[in-house]
Amino acid sequence: MIAVEGVVKRFGAQAVLNGVSLTVAPGEVVTILGSSGSGKSTLIRCINGLERLDGGRITVDGLDVANPRQLAQARRLSATVFQLFNLYPHMTVLRNVTLAPEVVLKRPGAEVEAEARALLASVGLADRADAYPAQLSGGQRQRVGICRALAMNPRYLLLDEVTSALDPEMTAEVLAILGRLVSAGTTMVFVTHEVEFARRISTRIVFLDHGRLIVDLPTDQFFADAGGMAHPRIKQFLSKMTPVGGQS
Amino acid sequence: MRNTGFTAHDGIVLAQGLGVSLALFLATFAIGLALGALAAVVRHFRPPVLGVALDTGLELLRNSPVLVQLFLVFFGIPALIHQPLTPLVAAGLTLSANTAAFVYFIVVAGLDAVGREQVEAARAFGLSRAQLVRHILAPQAAAFAMGPLVGLAVNQLQVTSLVSVIGVVDLTKAGDILNLRTLRPFAVWTMVGVLYFAVAKGLTLLGHRWERRLRAHAAPSGL
Ligand SMILES: Nc1ncnc2c1ncn2[C@@H]1O[C@H](COP(=O)(O)OP(=O)(O)OP(=O)(O)O)[C@@H](O)[C@H]1O
Ligand SMILES: [Mg+2]
Repeated sequence: MIAVEGVVKRFGAQAVLNGVSLTVAPGEVVTILGSSGSGKSTLIRCINGLERLDGGRITVDGLDVANPRQLAQARRLSATVFQLFNLYPHMTVLRNVTLAPEVVLKRPGAEVEAEARALLASVGLADRADAYPAQLSGGQRQRVGICRALAMNPRYLLLDEVTSALDPEMTAEVLAILGRLVSAGTTMVFVTHEVEFARRISTRIVFLDHGRLIVDLPTDQFFADAGGMAHPRIKQFLSKMTPVGGQS
Repeated sequence: MRNTGFTAHDGIVLAQGLGVSLALFLATFAIGLALGALAAVVRHFRPPVLGVALDTGLELLRNSPVLVQLFLVFFGIPALIHQPLTPLVAAGLTLSANTAAFVYFIVVAGLDAVGREQVEAARAFGLSRAQLVRHILAPQAAAFAMGPLVGLAVNQLQVTSLVSVIGVVDLTKAGDILNLRTLRPFAVWTMVGVLYFAVAKGLTLLGHRWERRLRAHAAPSGL
C-alpha cells in the first residue's frame, strides 16, 4: 500500500502540498485530478522520492521514502512514467528498458532482455528495439516509457500526465495500452486531464485544489451530483474539461 | 673548426626530445584527466564546503601562468621541504595539476549539460549515484566534453615546452642544443615546430573522430 499522510511540500514560501493524505491499495487505480499548478506532479514526485518532504510521511509498503535506505527499497516497488518521457537519449530503446532491471534489480541480462523484447512487442515496438529515442515519434517514446516502467515488474505504476504531450491519435494509442494494464490488475496512481478515460478505469478519484486534497471518492460517487459534483470547484473544473482521447 | 652541418646524431637528439615531450604530455594529461574528472564528479553532487574549495583552488591553478606554477614547484617546494626536486618531477607535478584544473571546469560543464529529466528518471528507477554516473552522466558528459578536451590536449602538448626552462631535455631543449651547435636557427626551429604541429594534428584528428562517435546519440536535453 502507498500511504501518504499529511504531506507538506513547500517551494519557498508557497505550500504546494498542504497536508495531503491518500492511500492506494494493491489493485486500485487512483486518479488524481486538479487544475494546473494544484500540485499533482509534485505529489507524484514526493512518492517516488524526487522531492524532499517538508512535513508528513509517505510509505510504500511500509518503507519510508524520507529514509534513504528505505527509499532505495521503495523505488524497486514503484515505477514512474513521465509526461515528457525522460528517456535516456544515448541508449537504444532496448537498453532504456533493460537498464534498471539489470543494474538496480541485478537480474540476469539475457532474461531481462527477453522480457524487454516481449514488452516492446506487446506495445507494437518489436522492430524499434535498436532505435534511439530521438528516432521515434512521441507516441512511440511514451510506449517505451511505459515498457521501461513495466520492466521493473512494479507493484505500483505512477503516471504523470503521460499523454498530455501527445496528439489525439497517439494519446488513444497510449490510453489503449493503459486500459490493458488496468484489465490485468495493475495498481496505478494516475495523474491526467483525460477525465472520460479516468472515469472508465479508476476505482477512486481524488481532487487536488491549491495543494489540498478536497475529495477522495469512489469513481461513480465522484461524478454523482451529490458527491464530487456538489463541490463548486470540482463542478467548475469538470465543466471546463472537454472530453478528448479515451474514446478508443 | 666545429661541425655545423646536420648529422644523423641530430636526428636521434630530436627524436629523444620528442619522446620526452610526448611521454611528459601523455603522463601528465592522463593524470590530469583522471584527477580533474574525479573532482568534477564530486563537485557535481554539490558537497557544500568541498565544492567551493575545489572551485576556488582550481580556478587559481587555471588562471595563473604555467611558468609561474613551474617555478613555484621547482624552486618553491624544495625550499619548503628542504629537499630538491628533479626537473622531471617538478614538471610532472606542475603539468598534471594544471591539466587537472582545466579538465575540471570542462567536465563540470559537460555534466551540467546532461538533461535533468533523464537524471531524475534514473533516480526514480533506483539507480545509485555511482550507477547514475556510470550509465547516464559519464557517457553523455564525455561526449559533450570531448571537443574542449581535444583543444586542451593540443594546448597542453605545447605547454610542455615550458619545462625546457628548468632543464628537462624535451623537444624544445633538444632544438636549443641543436641550434647552439649548428647556428641555423631558422632550419632548427622550423623542424621543431613542424614536429609539434604533426603531433597536435594527429591528436586533433583522433579526438574528433572519437568525439563524433561519442556524440552520435547524446542530446543536451532529455527525450
Ligand atoms: N522546483 C520547483 N520550484 C519552485 N516551484 C515549483 C517547483 N515545482 C513546482 N513548483 C510550483 O508548484 C506548484 C505545483 O506544481 P505541480 O507541477 O505539482 O502542478 P501540477 O498540478 O502538476 O500542474 P500541471 O497540471 O500544470 O502539470 C506550481 O505553482 C509550480 O509553479
Ligand atoms: Mg504536472
